[in-house]
Amino acid sequence: MREKVIYGLAAAAALFLAINLYRIFLVLPDDALQGPIYRIIFFHVPAALTGFIGYFVALAFSVWYLSSGKLKYDSLAASVTEVALIFSCVNIVMGSIWARVIWGIWWTWDARLTSTLISILIYSGYLMLRRAIDEPTQRARLSAALSIFGCLDVVIIWKSIEWFRTQHPAPVLSIRTGGGDIDPAMEHMIYYNLAAILLLAAALVLVRTRQESMSREIDSLRRMANAVERNVA
Amino acid sequence: MDPHTLTLMYARNFAFMFYGFAAAWVIVALYVISLARRGARLKKELDDVRRLIASEAGEQDFRV
Amino acid sequence: MRSIRQALQVARKDLAVELRTKESLNAAGAFAIVILLLFSFAFDPAAEETRTIAGGLLWLVFAFAGALVFNRGFARELPNECLDALLSSPLSSASLLLGKAVANFAMLLVVEALSLVVFGIFYDMRWWLRFWELAGVFALGTWGISIVGAVFGALTVNLRLRELMLPVLIYPLLIPLLMAAIELTNVLLANGAITEDQWIWVRVLVVFDIVFTALALVLAEIILVN
Repeated sequence: MREKVIYGLAAAAALFLAINLYRIFLVLPDDALQGPIYRIIFFHVPAALTGFIGYFVALAFSVWYLSSGKLKYDSLAASVTEVALIFSCVNIVMGSIWARVIWGIWWTWDARLTSTLISILIYSGYLMLRRAIDEPTQRARLSAALSIFGCLDVVIIWKSIEWFRTQHPAPVLSIRTGGGDIDPAMEHMIYYNLAAILLLAAALVLVRTRQESMSREIDSLRRMANAVERNVA
Repeated sequence: MDPHTLTLMYARNFAFMFYGFAAAWVIVALYVISLARRGARLKKELDDVRRLIASEAGEQDFRV
Repeated sequence: MRSIRQALQVARKDLAVELRTKESLNAAGAFAIVILLLFSFAFDPAAEETRTIAGGLLWLVFAFAGALVFNRGFARELPNECLDALLSSPLSSASLLLGKAVANFAMLLVVEALSLVVFGIFYDMRWWLRFWELAGVFALGTWGISIVGAVFGALTVNLRLRELMLPVLIYPLLIPLLMAAIELTNVLLANGAITEDQWIWVRVLVVFDIVFTALALVLAEIILVN
């Protein structure tokens, strides 16, 4: 059953992406000021949103693990964090390439870029911590604690450096500006692509989670094998 | 600005757009490949351990 | 109230041990001075620009020295299974964590005082001009670092790569705190008053301290399980 869900999600994502790519490249016009490079926004923004949504979802799963004690929530938290990290990296790399053309520089220390970079560092630390602990329950417990700390810290970081004058383009999504700043066709494209990317992310998370549970099964089977060996010997 | 410079700028703009998309795909592709390899390794390990258990169980029966 | 008393007892024990051997204080203090020396090669002490980044230099020194102190914080309980004894005792995990944080705080303040004096000498900085405001900023900033250091000291105590994981984990988390502390320290060292705009950094310090202390106390049970 799980297999079918993964394939279904992946297929839907692929289909959606294909349609969107067609529309992005062949239907939507160039931006008046930026030229063709603006099309990067259609992956850059969805990737950023996927990353941040992922961190909060991982927080939810971490708390769920702590309250229920079931390791599958820990697996889900780890998988979501990993996938969110990948999409945050996509976000930063695409943004950097865009910036090289539009601003002439690869990097700048404005609020959004810095916050995203710091969150990447925090969650890389999360993955490193998991690799440093072998015992599953301890690993789950400690990474849940780090996930909670990390997520709250990301919120504080965002708020605290937001007051800096930002070089990053001001919000264009109409939910934040109240409409009128961006061609509606382009804005809808961002949301469509967000849906496609979220589907892709969901498929990847499910694959990763299944790998985590396989890994747990291997662990417990090994323990059983050792026990049997000792009984035989 | 003369048309020649504009064309060059446009070409660069276009090229970087593709680099951007290429970068995104490469990152995701690398991740998917690493997932696939990890999956294959885990599956093999799982099969190995299962076989190990089966053979040990078999031994135990034999001794009994 | 009982838990606060217990926490203070833990802190007193740690500080008593520390005062007898002075191992953390010596190591962290020496480290701080060496880093300040290195900074004086990297950033010309006579240049005007260096004065504008003085706050940054100081807080980097405190953060690095802090890592040395926090590593020892829980690691010193490992030999003879003292940590297990502490966890099995009626002492609550939150009190233990809080006590360690208070001990960290005290030790780090000593290192900071030393660094400030040495810094004043190397860089010809008159840090006493706005001393009490500076002390306030130092206290707020150091508490934030101490509580995060205590939490992650506890978290990483049993890991094999403890000395490496601790800095890697805490530095990104401390960035908002360090940013705020650096901004305010820069202003105060230049003998300026804290303006309307800069009060936001004070607020950041306070919010950070409150949020992370609360979080540490709530999650203490989870981090310090036997």
